Amino acid sequence: MIRLFTSLFLLVVFAEASSCSSSPASRELPLRVRWIRDPETLDPLTQPNENARQGVNLLYQSLLTVDYEQQRFVPLLAESMPSVRHQGARTLITYRLRDSARWDDGQPVLARDVEFTLKVMNCPDLPNEEVRAQFGFITALQPDPLDSRRFTLVCEGAAPELVLASGDFPILPAHYLDPQNKLGAVPLAALQQDSLALRHYPDVAPFVQRYKAAQIGQHPDALPGSGPYRLASWKTGQQLEFRRKPRWWGQALQQTAPQLQARPEQIEFHVIPDDATALLAMRRADVDLYPRMPAREFGRLQADSARHPELSFYTAPSYDMTVAGFNTRSSLLAHRLTRQAISHLFDVPQLIQATQQGHAYRSVGLINPENKAFYNDSLRPFAFDPTEASRLLVRAGWQRTATGWERQRPGQSPQRLALRLSYRAGEPTYEAIGLQLRAAAAQLGIPITLHPTESSVLSGRLRAGEYDLYLRSMTGNPFVYNFAPILHTESIGSGNFTRFGTPDSDRLIKSITTEQNPQRKARLLRRLQALLQAECPLTVLYFNRYQIVAASRLANLQISGLPPGYNVMAITSRPDDSH
Amino acid sequence: MGIYLWRRVVVLVPTAWLVLSLIFLLSRGLGAAPPLPSLEADAIGLTDPTSQRRATEQRMRHRYGLDAPLFYITLERSYLNPNAARRWQWHGTANQYHSWVKQLSRGDFGFSYRDSKPVTSVLLDSLRHTLPLTVGAAVLATTLALALGVFTRPRWQAALRSILSLLDILPLFVVALLLLLLLANPDVLAWFPAYGEGRIATEAVWWQQLGTYLYYLALPLACLVLVTTPGLALQLDAALQHELGQAYATTARAKGLSTSRVQQKHALRNAWLPFLTVLAELLPALVAGTVVVETVFARPGMGRALAEAAAARDFPVLLAGVLLLATIRLAAYILTDWLYQLADPRLRPAS
Amino acid sequence: MTRARRWGAGLALTWLLLLLAVALTVPYLPLAFSPDTVDLTNIAMPPQVSQFSHPGHLLGTDPYGRDVLTALLYGTRTALLVSLPAALLAALAGISSGSSAGFWGNSGLRVKTGWLVAAGAAVLFTLAALPCYWGSYRMLYLLAIPTGFFMVGGILLQVKRLSAPVPIPLDSLLQACITLVSSIPRLVLVLALAAVVEPSLPTLVLVLALSSWVGTARLVRAEVARVRQLPYLEAARAAGIPELRLLVRHVLPNALRPVKTSFPLSIAGLIGLETTLSFLGVGLPPEVPSWGRTLALVRLTPTAWWLVVFPVLLILLTTLALQQLASRPRG
Repeated sequence: MIRLFTSLFLLVVFAEASSCSSSPASRELPLRVRWIRDPETLDPLTQPNENARQGVNLLYQSLLTVDYEQQRFVPLLAESMPSVRHQGARTLITYRLRDSARWDDGQPVLARDVEFTLKVMNCPDLPNEEVRAQFGFITALQPDPLDSRRFTLVCEGAAPELVLASGDFPILPAHYLDPQNKLGAVPLAALQQDSLALRHYPDVAPFVQRYKAAQIGQHPDALPGSGPYRLASWKTGQQLEFRRKPRWWGQALQQTAPQLQARPEQIEFHVIPDDATALLAMRRADVDLYPRMPAREFGRLQADSARHPELSFYTAPSYDMTVAGFNTRSSLLAHRLTRQAISHLFDVPQLIQATQQGHAYRSVGLINPENKAFYNDSLRPFAFDPTEASRLLVRAGWQRTATGWERQRPGQSPQRLALRLSYRAGEPTYEAIGLQLRAAAAQLGIPITLHPTESSVLSGRLRAGEYDLYLRSMTGNPFVYNFAPILHTESIGSGNFTRFGTPDSDRLIKSITTEQNPQRKARLLRRLQALLQAECPLTVLYFNRYQIVAASRLANLQISGLPPGYNVMAITSRPDDSH
Repeated sequence: MGIYLWRRVVVLVPTAWLVLSLIFLLSRGLGAAPPLPSLEADAIGLTDPTSQRRATEQRMRHRYGLDAPLFYITLERSYLNPNAARRWQWHGTANQYHSWVKQLSRGDFGFSYRDSKPVTSVLLDSLRHTLPLTVGAAVLATTLALALGVFTRPRWQAALRSILSLLDILPLFVVALLLLLLLANPDVLAWFPAYGEGRIATEAVWWQQLGTYLYYLALPLACLVLVTTPGLALQLDAALQHELGQAYATTARAKGLSTSRVQQKHALRNAWLPFLTVLAELLPALVAGTVVVETVFARPGMGRALAEAAAARDFPVLLAGVLLLATIRLAAYILTDWLYQLADPRLRPAS
Repeated sequence: MTRARRWGAGLALTWLLLLLAVALTVPYLPLAFSPDTVDLTNIAMPPQVSQFSHPGHLLGTDPYGRDVLTALLYGTRTALLVSLPAALLAALAGISSGSSAGFWGNSGLRVKTGWLVAAGAAVLFTLAALPCYWGSYRMLYLLAIPTGFFMVGGILLQVKRLSAPVPIPLDSLLQACITLVSSIPRLVLVLALAAVVEPSLPTLVLVLALSSWVGTARLVRAEVARVRQLPYLEAARAAGIPELRLLVRHVLPNALRPVKTSFPLSIAGLIGLETTLSFLGVGLPPEVPSWGRTLALVRLTPTAWWLVVFPVLLILLTTLALQQLASRPRG
């Protein structure tokens, strides 16, 4: 037995020694970033999660991109920001592609590629439902007969955000995916109507088959992209490795167009689902960048930062907010005063302290308080106030009884106030909020049960209105104020989980999306915030702050409040002084 | 012999089919809508014409074949009068169950809901990662159990037995957490890597590659070995004690053989038989163990694939995974049966 | 029985009785905190001494600010509420299926074909008609189905061919079920089942029972098959005692000895499984205090040793006590 143990021990020592020697003296250290999950697919058509979006952006490029530092859209494949003309209810957006833009195989990026991409995005039977809905407003592409790089997108609608959105999809190489130009003969409008395209254009079905067979989502290396990186290896659920192409077209332009920079030679994304494990990996310097570290770990690590000179700590106010929503069509929560009463039971300052280490900040509504122009600072967020809550409940018609709160209904048995709170399972922050609300409500005599639910199941339930209360996070952005998908009556059954909507609010939301004048827009947005606080279909508990920990040798992370919170292509490595 | 095995298989296959069908129908019927990836309206998007949302969902359901009725007959509400009682309706072969069975008979398990990869490749890939772990753990644990059972001096045995029983009680996740927090923690001892399988440089020599691989495998392997060895050792010990109490052992000792010699030469040979059953259970039990270990140590593999599929209700992967595990287990059973009969002629059924 | 063993058994029994007492009386205990209390100012606090003026968290708090002592005491109740009914259910299912399969084998139980056909028809009818019309004619159905069953059965029996008894292959059926259930590792089976039904206390009990009746069934089947052949049963049979009575009164009391040993062990196994499920986040809703859930919270605060030590101690002691109890009759 002792023999066995010694041999085991030897094995371990041997392994340790060999692993030390196996790390080669490399030229430049790869940049290692923690990812919480596998991107699952790198198909530019799908992009099911944020990691996939980040990966796709390394391989392919859109017309426009976001400048993280300035928080504004800048041209990427496009030469400059597009010119815009309005034509009745339509918007005509004209782009010109950069002369130097090239695919990997040296072919230029042309208007034809953009047209092809739009068609693929609308092909039936491809996994493109999401982008199809998102970019359905682009109804046609008019190529410029004289300039193969210039084209005009015809968009339905006149909202100002259409311009930014029209340049926000990755462009695919037409000459590679469709060398015989089979899709060229099929009009975009025909593809946008499902069955029509397959019936009248026999070339579509074989193309779809070929696209599917290529499995671009799993093997993006088979497709020449225009982006600065190529996928070097992908071990599912473990690690993705991107290498910078030795020569790519943007290199020459990096001085004048910082959005085209690609600094790290090699980027590795390490998939570590468990937070505790990821924290250990960060501290062992197995990864260099841990974006969006949970506040608790961040706080603990930062408090101990004297012992960790090798780590740097960054925070940025983000557009991620934690929101509690009410099912306004449920008979229990139909009265706005009931909803307000429940909103008074969230002890938000304490929760921010406990779950976010005090890093988050409160807001009265969906507008970030940092946005001074649009934020309605005359309102106050709901205070934690159980006595006010019970006063409101009484005003809403509830009566305190020995067992809880009841309401008499004509011709029916009395109704009892008991609520179900749904949220995504496995998220400690929601759990903490839920437990706090439950405790506060229990003090008042309102029983609340918690229902942590797996995310896809949860979104199904929310869409169907099978809940009373929910907690979730929503992501805003500094560019667009379109609340129709989440608060308009048209969206009930899809994105408007609260099922809220009055004629007044509907009109207000619509007029905000089309308003061009900033002053008038600010007035409308302030009105909307006041209206939403009074009606209370949802309560914004707080806006999160991104907490990012990086190895100190990394510089120029371009930390911002836009997801993913940093710009991976901009990161540089300080000369390694530790060795 | 052959007939006996075949009879078992013949009874099993329809039962298995029944249960699988039930799980299939339940999972699709109760879960209402199986998950549609990326239909979350979490972001206040740039644009997303709301009128298109439902069409989007419909298209997605169509692509996954979920818009067809569930079974040959289903209860349907009348379109004309939604309040009327529901009635049974015959759909013919254009239903989800039929196409599922048809696919299955071709050996095609369909595509994962989550990443649209073929289920077969997902499972094969995760098996490739899991097998070294489980097989390694099985071999190590068996050797260790044998070593502990046979070579320990009698006076250590009592102490050893209590230590082993104590270890046997600890749930696997506690062991995994403890090892992680003690041996891969910069606050305590950072001897081992905390996660993953390590990056194997392609230019490294094979033994370096193997070294890295083993280094990363060490802690997960240790977890599984620590958790499985006590059970095995205790079983073997019990079997040995039983054999040593038999008359032949007493005779052997009376003839002057030392206890350890009786144990090694005679008792072990007979104690091996009940131990065989335990071994047959070992591999599947280890696969269940990988659910925990692979989650804690962030390793890819069968266990994590199954756990994630269950959480995300990725039923194609879940069903195929369960089927695969069951097949392996059944094969192990049949193999043990056969070995049993080979080893002990008394157990052969009268032909 | 040696003295040490007797001591061990006594200690084990005392511990288990103590747990039972705690589970029954925990709402009336003078605890400083209720299980609902969330103390956001004291998050993940290490154990502190209670002072006279204000109560402290004797075993610390968890990352949500709940008192660990309270959670563990209430967790005792949950552990009993989950594992005991599940173990009982599993034992009941195992004993009834195992004993009938062992007693009657493949040919012992014969049923007249007519009844079989009638039962099949009744099941089909129930399945087909109930979901459609259950709401409106509830009482009618409750009366109509049994009456229909007896009438159809009675009529069918008049046909000569249908009145012949056929053997029911109980043993083969049970064997197939056992092989099937045990061919899937328990944790994986529970995970798969939990994906289909949302876990709550009753469903969790059902799922756990469903995954753990096999062991008992196998044990009882083997034992009953052994006892059945003993001479005293031949005598009893010759005396004309009816089959069912024979099984319940004469076979089972002798065949249940191994179950007495395995029952505490199965409770221990179920406690372990429940903790593992909670750790993986599949178990009970988060407001239900449970040892496993408290233990799982250490992942949020890896330095909080008090979240590991106390629940592990509880699980360890309880399992040890149950094992001691299991090994007692043998010693």
